[in-house]
Amino acid sequence: MPKIKQAGDLETLQRKIRKAQKKFPKTITICGGTGCQASKAGEVIEKIREVIPKQAFGKDVYIRSTGCHGFCEQGPIMVLEPGNILYCHVTTEDIEEIVAKTIRRGEVIERLLYTDPVSGNKKVKEKDIPFYLAQDRRLLNYNRLVDPGNIDDYIAIGGYMALAKTLGSIKPEAVIEEINASGLRGRGGGGFPTGHKWTECREEPVDEKYVICNADEGDPGAYMDRCLLEGNPHLVIEGLLIGAWAVGARQGYIYVRKEYPLAVKNAKFAIEQARKYGLLGENIFGSGFSFDLEVARGGGAFVCGESTALMASVEGKVGEPRPKDIHTAKEGLWNKPTVLNNVETWANVPSIMLNGASWFAAKGTQGSKGTKIFALTGQVKNTGLVEVAMGTSLHNIVFDIGGGSKNGKAIKAVQTGGPSGGCLPASHFQLPVDFDTLSAAGSMMGSGGMVVMDEGTCMVDVAKYFLNFLQDESCGKCVPCRLGVERMLEIVTDITEGRGTAEHINLLEDLAETVGETSLCGLGKTAPNPVLSTLRYFQDEYMAHINEKHCPAGVCKALIQYAVAAEKCNGCGSCKRACPHGAITGEKKQVHVIDFEACRKCGICIGECKPGAIMVN
Amino acid sequence: MLEEVTLTIDDVLVKAVKGLSVLDAAIKSGICIPHLCHVPFLSDIGACRLCIVENVGNGKAKITTSCTLRVQEGMVIRANSEKVLKLRKNIAELLVAHAPNSRAIQDIAVRCGVKEVRYPFHNADCVLCGRCVRYCSEMWQANAIGFVGRGKDRHVEYPFGKRPDTCKKCNSCILYCPMSVTPCGEVMKTGEEHLCGKCDSQMTMAEKMPGACVWCETGKSFQCARYA
Repeated sequence: MPKIKQAGDLETLQRKIRKAQKKFPKTITICGGTGCQASKAGEVIEKIREVIPKQAFGKDVYIRSTGCHGFCEQGPIMVLEPGNILYCHVTTEDIEEIVAKTIRRGEVIERLLYTDPVSGNKKVKEKDIPFYLAQDRRLLNYNRLVDPGNIDDYIAIGGYMALAKTLGSIKPEAVIEEINASGLRGRGGGGFPTGHKWTECREEPVDEKYVICNADEGDPGAYMDRCLLEGNPHLVIEGLLIGAWAVGARQGYIYVRKEYPLAVKNAKFAIEQARKYGLLGENIFGSGFSFDLEVARGGGAFVCGESTALMASVEGKVGEPRPKDIHTAKEGLWNKPTVLNNVETWANVPSIMLNGASWFAAKGTQGSKGTKIFALTGQVKNTGLVEVAMGTSLHNIVFDIGGGSKNGKAIKAVQTGGPSGGCLPASHFQLPVDFDTLSAAGSMMGSGGMVVMDEGTCMVDVAKYFLNFLQDESCGKCVPCRLGVERMLEIVTDITEGRGTAEHINLLEDLAETVGETSLCGLGKTAPNPVLSTLRYFQDEYMAHINEKHCPAGVCKALIQYAVAAEKCNGCGSCKRACPHGAITGEKKQVHVIDFEACRKCGICIGECKPGAIMVN
Repeated sequence: MLEEVTLTIDDVLVKAVKGLSVLDAAIKSGICIPHLCHVPFLSDIGACRLCIVENVGNGKAKITTSCTLRVQEGMVIRANSEKVLKLRKNIAELLVAHAPNSRAIQDIAVRCGVKEVRYPFHNADCVLCGRCVRYCSEMWQANAIGFVGRGKDRHVEYPFGKRPDTCKKCNSCILYCPMSVTPCGEVMKTGEEHLCGKCDSQMTMAEKMPGACVWCETGKSFQCARYA
């Protein structure tokens, strides 16, 4: 592998790679992201790599296993060129047929096409699918063009050109100016202006500085950073290189959580490849600028996503936050000025440098520019990764892209921002999604998790879930977070188990203020948000639990009772056989009865009952 | 000559040596900021959050712990504003509800104005202030004890649960533990915990002079830095 010594070498290499790729008239792209791998994409890829070379036209076909395309619901996904044909739920049994029909003769296999759940129509082409059409895929689009294990793919689509341009002709101060002008804000949740952070770090009169990429994404239901780093690690590396040049750092780290083994593997491999090409190391592009990267692997603590805890963890200490009266941009890793940005923030940097700040700022709202990736999960038809321009309304995301409710129940709320965010009710779905609007509404952008909830979700139970999560994940260092969250969980548990009183609401609000104002780090400061936002928008549900001892959604076990609807029961006895607690009695072909005393409300009988005779009161 | 800065704490102009924490500056100037995890000659970690103050600047009042905040020229601090007192009281209430069996914690609750406890008592043995851990590692360089676990499982423990040779049984950890000061009455049994409130009578002076350090007797048991 020849080293790239100057910008011209990169262009030559790019032309060479493109020419080589053009030799293949046919391309098969298979998503090898974690979502599709869970649906056995690994076996599909293996099988196709085995079958294709045996064919006469085998030499004409280029097989690319890429990172996540975002449409995880339909995985494993396969896109065939020419024709832009998209097949979903592909299994190993389908491979022979695909090879024989589609690849050989260009015929479309009806069975494997995507069916739009809204209209019921089959869609042949990837680009016609409403899930993709309604999006603005600036970053995610690269994922389907790049094999994360092959740096050439990235160079072919114009990779490292932004770096060449920056190192060749743009001074560090001008880079920061450009980032400032673009209005890029931190994608990790806080939304701190990236340019400010870089300026602060650059202005420190210290030689030793660091840049870090935060890939410790731990919010339940969020996996944007994972897919970016797994699918296109070079994009992140290029962003880090430009950032390091701007602030004057020589060393960087990518901090990946332990639960993302594929991201660790792909990032490490990408770093190796970049080193071989001379894109990392000494004297990059002959500019005199030297920079190297390392992957630091986390140990599985949620709190290590917090900047100071993350830095402690990189240093090899216990991942605990410390007071941040001085910004980490001034005193960060090993007490040196450090710029820490999220994966998605770094990934946005190369295109800003290449296309200019005004191109980036053309999308978005007054205070939030560009696009943002969300992980759309929960009770919607199309779950997956969604990239939209800032300012897109929640309604658009949930209904146009998500396709609306999954099982016919009305959609009640969206939880944004993970455990630091809050729940927004359907009446607020016209709100544009940007940093400031969501904060004002009592939630937050967070890293981009979006969990859609329908009428079958109890909001008090949701608050309880997040408090439980936070209690486990709090580091336990400071009193308000450790004891305050524990007490909040106690109170909410009391409410869900029918011991709630009216005073509990005041006490919860008082506690929430204390925890939010006085906690040491961001985890504690935002910990009350799930409780506060559900109290704000769904107080009637809390009151129903407290006053009527009734759970409107039928979720809180202590407040519900299972009963058999006599008119629907056909006496088949399947519930009786399934009940592990022996709580159901009844003769064959007679209406069955549930013994309330013995019933543990496990819900197994509901799944077994074909006529749907078991009711929750 | 040490460089001095002037800052305002509770409307009083205070001179302090650069590098000092706001808490130390306040205590030296006779302004009372309750604290628990702070020990004068050890590093500060900001764990108990009792010493919170409002740092006023840029039109904003930011809540932060005074033990970790370094003094700066022209700084404006509100150590006993209504908001701070309310939040501090809530933290003290959380502490005393968690570990009522300590005179030090009971006294802090009284000092912070806790009159009733709204939660069920937990009779815990440790409030994780980390005084013992820091004393052991910073004064003796022994590192014989440390924090283990996360969240509600966090506790103080020997490395791998076994007393290491570096522990010289000096008893400093016990000496500096707020839980080692038993309540004035007898040790409360589980289920019979209550807010002691016996030191309430000593607080009359403090209530007349809010925010001023009155060398209250309660400070002795909560190991106020004043008595160090």
